[in-house]
Amino acid sequence: MSLHVVFTLAGVEYALPVAAVLQMETFAGATFVPGAPAYVAGIVTVRGLVVPVIDLRVRFGLPPAELTTDTRIIVTEAQGRVVALRVDTAREVLQLDIEKHQPAPSVVSERASGFVQAIHALGPRLLLLVDLPKILGEKSHDHSPLLLDDDGAKARPQLPG
Amino acid sequence: MTAPADLREFISAYLVEAEEHLAVANTQLLAVEAAQRSGSTNPRAVRETFRSLHTIKGLSAMVGVEPIVAIAHRMESFLRDFDRSGGTIPPRAIDALLKGVRAIEHRVTALGRGDSAAPPSDELLTELDSMGLAAGPIARMPEASLNLDPAILAKLAPFEVDQIFRGISQGMRALRAEFSPSPARAAEGLTINSVRERVATVADIVRVLPRATPITPDSPGGLSFVLLLLTRATNEVLVQAGGLAASAFHSIAREVTEADAALQPSIAEVLTNSADDQSFDTQTRRGVVRVDVNRLDEAMEGLSALIVTRFRLVRSIAAMNERGVNTRELSQIMTENSRQLRDLRAALVRVRMVPVSELLERVPLLVRGLCRATNRAVRLELEGGSAELDKSVSERLFPVIVHLVRNAVDHAIESPDERLRRGKPEEGLLRITCSARGSAHLEITISDDGRGIDRAAVAQKAGRTSPSDNADLLGLLCIPGLSTREIASTTSGRGMGMEIVKRTVVDELGGELEVASELGVGTTFTLRVPLTISIVDAFSFECGEQRFVVPVSMVDEIIEVDPSGVVHVPANDDGSPSVDIISRRGVAVPMIQLSQVFRLQPGAKASPKAIIVRRAGAPIAFAVDRMLGQQEVVIRPVNDVLVRAPGVSGATDLGDGRPTLVLDLVALSVSLNALPHALGASR
Repeated sequence: MSLHVVFTLAGVEYALPVAAVLQMETFAGATFVPGAPAYVAGIVTVRGLVVPVIDLRVRFGLPPAELTTDTRIIVTEAQGRVVALRVDTAREVLQLDIEKHQPAPSVVSERASGFVQAIHALGPRLLLLVDLPKILGEKSHDHSPLLLDDDGAKARPQLPG
Repeated sequence: MTAPADLREFISAYLVEAEEHLAVANTQLLAVEAAQRSGSTNPRAVRETFRSLHTIKGLSAMVGVEPIVAIAHRMESFLRDFDRSGGTIPPRAIDALLKGVRAIEHRVTALGRGDSAAPPSDELLTELDSMGLAAGPIARMPEASLNLDPAILAKLAPFEVDQIFRGISQGMRALRAEFSPSPARAAEGLTINSVRERVATVADIVRVLPRATPITPDSPGGLSFVLLLLTRATNEVLVQAGGLAASAFHSIAREVTEADAALQPSIAEVLTNSADDQSFDTQTRRGVVRVDVNRLDEAMEGLSALIVTRFRLVRSIAAMNERGVNTRELSQIMTENSRQLRDLRAALVRVRMVPVSELLERVPLLVRGLCRATNRAVRLELEGGSAELDKSVSERLFPVIVHLVRNAVDHAIESPDERLRRGKPEEGLLRITCSARGSAHLEITISDDGRGIDRAAVAQKAGRTSPSDNADLLGLLCIPGLSTREIASTTSGRGMGMEIVKRTVVDELGGELEVASELGVGTTFTLRVPLTISIVDAFSFECGEQRFVVPVSMVDEIIEVDPSGVVHVPANDDGSPSVDIISRRGVAVPMIQLSQVFRLQPGAKASPKAIIVRRAGAPIAFAVDRMLGQQEVVIRPVNDVLVRAPGVSGATDLGDGRPTLVLDLVALSVSLNALPHALGASR
């Protein structure tokens, strides 16, 4: 058994292991960052840390939603990064039996660009377990040419002598 | 590392102290070498080195870092031999010692990262062992003759047992003292570190061993430390100096035999020889507190929160004022509060300052190693001065200096033969100077009298035309991946390139970088960096309904834009931002609409303003909607790859609880040139 945070997006329930969640907060808007990917709503300050907010609706290809009093951000930590997820609501924390996770049918995982890792049937409810590292994006966002140093030696252009 | 969890709190203090003693060992070993090269000896430096290693060994044993104990012990023991033989150390042995210091450094660094210390390689141990002047085998007594718990005895290294027996044979008393840390004792200033330091003034500490104990009122942490001591002091003196009860001391010697007394004196001699120096040290150390830099950051963080709260207060007072409330007294209080915050900030900033000499103290060792590796002869001139700079700036600058020094020795300064052929002195000159520029900046120059930079060759490598001036040359040198050497050498081939130097100095620290080079004569790099970072004076402004701040230091001028005087330059149809031209005191200045660059909705411009910055000396203007004010802001890093954007150097809180972006308009203008589609490309 393992604790999961349950959140909703466009009426569908999703789940995320509590281990990956630092805290949940109400959301009153983020500061826009020019040049960031479209699914990044901006940055917020959480406990003195500047944290990017991913709008999960946009990330999942859903139509954007207005801010309501239910809107929450879930502050997550994965691979050494702290990133917040904007969701429609987040009200529940549930014990889920990991053994009962079912792999997502290929149709689902393809439709959701692989963001849905597994499905959990809890009585009549279906919870979609999300793949957090995939949502946050690999480190491959990081392709600044300035970062080629030590190991960039291999990639150095062969310049005429 | 197998240290019990409770030891962790000692580790950070250990790391700080170990690094300090390593620095001393390095400096002193180089002093020994320098003295010997000039035909004299420096026995004091030999003893200082010995003492540093001795302390490192003791500290490492206390926190259970056996690999360092093993290395330090070997170095200590052969230094002792050299000391006895008059203080001359063969060059080969100095190399081995420096190698040992480096091996310890690696392990201390690993511990600092939270890794464990790797056991020393057999190669190193054999090399260190072979260096000793074959100290005669020590007559060993059975260990059982020590009145010690077998569990403790089992943890002692043979040399420690030897040390105890030698001490006893010289008429010293061997004692076991026990100390259990507790909050109550800590409140009295009694921690294992303070006890160790205090006891060390009257006794030689052979070993400090942590051990788990049952949890009792006397030992609430379930942890105690056993100190094994050798001393000539009486119990009363020990009690007085150490702050421990008389009942804490127990003799561990069973009985002293005639044969033991005949053992040759050794370690104790060196330790007593240096007793005078030690008392000198305690004198100068008094009143100095070593602090983990993280704790200072916490204090700074607290101050940042205060500054943010103050913004909020100021806002709500302004709002009250608008409602017609008399806020005169409040405003006076706020003025006073502002002054106090400024003083507090200045005090905290001072605490974080380290002398520039600390930044440079490892350079001689670096140069020495490079000269060895490249067969260069280099004379190093260091002019540190008395300037102080923020620890975090110093830490960022160090790799930059390492890089520039490497370049100078490895690429710039010619081999001795070549220098002679060119009519230069055989020994190359590397000169590093540091001097304060005003109250807020430090200027560092690194110059060599080597071959100078071949502009044509650099240009050819980069596939560009030959640079016309020094600024152009620097631009070429800082192209990512550019190296003017075909073969990556062992010393400079890897490691960071000039582009990282520039990124650190210019982008991260907000400083300046210059180069001046003359072919055949030499090269000088000049770095100007702010002494402190993180809290800066900044202008806040509004653009496209969003607020931003820009550091005052980056702004050349803020001007009113007369819309009738703006000349629109036809834009490319590739979506890159258009450029306007305005006239400033008769000089044409390019102007970029910030809202357009950032793809923001242009706001209502009652009186448009332009912020002028200088890029490589040339002015460039950014049009914004409205200037809001000037204030001190706390800059927080914006690190995540998702929000790392050109021109954004961090975020700050202006009191509304939301982050406000701190812009680096110089970097932004550079990125506009380099990558016209960089911004908004992913939108």
